[in-house]
Formats: sequence, structure tokens, C-alpha cells
Amino acid sequence: MEDAGMIASWIASGRERTAADEEGFKRLYEATSRPLWGYLQHVSGRPDVADDLLQETYCRFLLRKIPATDEARTRSYLFRIATNLLHDRFRSRDDAALEEPAECGVETDEAARLDVRAAMRQLKPRERELLWLAYVEGMSHAEIAAATGLGAMSIRILLYRARQKASGFLRPRRIQS
Amino acid sequence: MKRMSCEYESGVIRAWHAGEWTPELRLHAAECEDCGEALRLAEALRAEARRADERCNPPDSHWILRRSQRMAREIALRRMDLLLKTMRALSAIYVAVAAGWLLRGYAEVQYREIASVLHGASSEFALMAATVAAVCVVAGLWPILREDAARREAGFFR
Repeated sequence: MEDAGMIASWIASGRERTAADEEGFKRLYEATSRPLWGYLQHVSGRPDVADDLLQETYCRFLLRKIPATDEARTRSYLFRIATNLLHDRFRSRDDAALEEPAECGVETDEAARLDVRAAMRQLKPRERELLWLAYVEGMSHAEIAAATGLGAMSIRILLYRARQKASGFLRPRRIQS
Repeated sequence: MKRMSCEYESGVIRAWHAGEWTPELRLHAAECEDCGEALRLAEALRAEARRADERCNPPDSHWILRRSQRMAREIALRRMDLLLKTMRALSAIYVAVAAGWLLRGYAEVQYREIASVLHGASSEFALMAATVAAVCVVAGLWPILREDAARREAGFFR
């Protein structure tokens, strides 16, 4: 069976799924975990927090009684859980602790990385969420609204403001490259 | 007047994402300052996403499933614990009320009449007590059996 079919079948099985559906979950996880981790890492600014929240997101997803739905809505639902977890984390901990990104891995373009990260660090978590969902995940305003819990009508103006702010922080040489 | 983004921005970004441009959108993106800025930012963020992807090392899906099952079991146990505590509290209240009622009744009757009173009320009293006990047992047992069935279904007993 194709990946999309297996994922759809797994989602459609709802809460009646058992360990026999592990393969379906595996496909869903493989299709969504990396983008979700990127989102969590970008908004929180810390890979360790992203690791932690990624696991928590899927555990909550598996525990909740979600209605049978399609892959796009499931993806949106996962981002919603992740966003809620991020907000919980921001509320319960010192924000400064989440602002300092941990250095790890191999960096290929140091200047660009620092530019984007420095710019993003100056934005509010909500603005980072909006920019990532819109420009990296390519979500529509309605999908962003579903993933963030914001009103669909306010997404456009909030996104516009976030983009203006981010562009202002990015160095012109980087933007023009 | 409030400055708003270009109405085509969302479409431009989605076309860029999918790599499926219409000639009109491509022309618009080349001319529109807002859309151009959005595209440049999207490219910068996409590059950041690629870098993040290199660092990403998510745990195995099997491990996530097992952890969620552990969490489900813990939640079920917490719920069951709460239910048992409630049942215990209700039982204590029931015993206290029953004891008070019996003592009050005992004080009101003459000592010599105890035997006849108990004799006359025994069957009714026993029936009532048995009914209350049965209700308590069923109320306690029903969620336990339901939880067991749910856990069996979820594969916890495998």
C-alpha cells in the first residue's frame, strides 16, 4: 500500500487502532516528525526543547480521541498540539531560557544561519510561529488559524506585521542573495 | 488606512512551495514588492529549515507508541485511583450515616423491645442493605471492567 493510503487508513481507524496499526503510525510519523521538529526548534530556539516537545506532541496525539479525518487535517492537528505545548512551555518557564539556541551539528553557511537566527530571535514566539507555518510549511491562512488557534481573519495582518519585522531585522545582503 | 499585505501573497507562496506557477502569478511576483519580500523571506526560512533538518534526529516511532501506551495506562490508573478514593469516601460516609441511624434507633426503643423490633424489621432492613451494597459493588465494578476492556483492546495485556 502507498504511504498516503496507509496513513489515511491509520487515521480513519480512529481510536479502535491497536498495535497492529503501528505501521500506519510509523508512516505518519516519518512524514510529519521532521517538519514538526523544525517548527518546534525554530520557535523555541532550542533543539533539546524541540526533542522533548516532539515526543510529547505525538503522545498527546495518540492519547486524544480525534475524529477520523484526512492527512492534511491531521498534520494541522499535530501543529496545533505542538503550538499549545510551546505556549505552555513559554508560560511555565523563563522565556530567556528558550531564547538562546544551543549550538550543535554541522553548519554550512554560518553567516546566513546567524542572520536568520538573529532575526528570528528578535521576534515574538507567535510571530515566529506564523512565519514558519506560512513560509516553510506553506500553510494557507485557514490552516494557520487552525494550527495556532487564532482567528482566520487576523492571520493576514499578523503575518504581514511579522514579515515586515523579520525583513527589517534581516541584513539586506542576505535578503538579496 | 491600515497597511495590508498583497492579496496574492498566499497564492504566490503556495506556488513557490509547489513549484507550480501560473504565468500571471509569476509576473505578479516579479512586480509586486510585497510578494517579492515574502518570497525572499520564505527562501531564507526554507534554508534555515534545511539546516534544522540536518540536525533533526527524531526518536523511533515504536518508542513513541510505547510511551503513549504507558501514558494511557498511567492516566487510566490515576482515574481508577480517583474512583476508588471516591468509593472509599462514599463508603465511609455510608457507614457513618448507617451507624448514626442505627444508634439513634437503638436509643429510641426500649431495651426489652429490641428483639421484637429487630425481628419485625429484619427482612426489610436486610433487603435495603443488600440493595445498597449491590449498587455500590456494581458502581465500583462497572468502570473497572470497562477500563479492563479498553486496555485489552489497546493491547496493554498482550
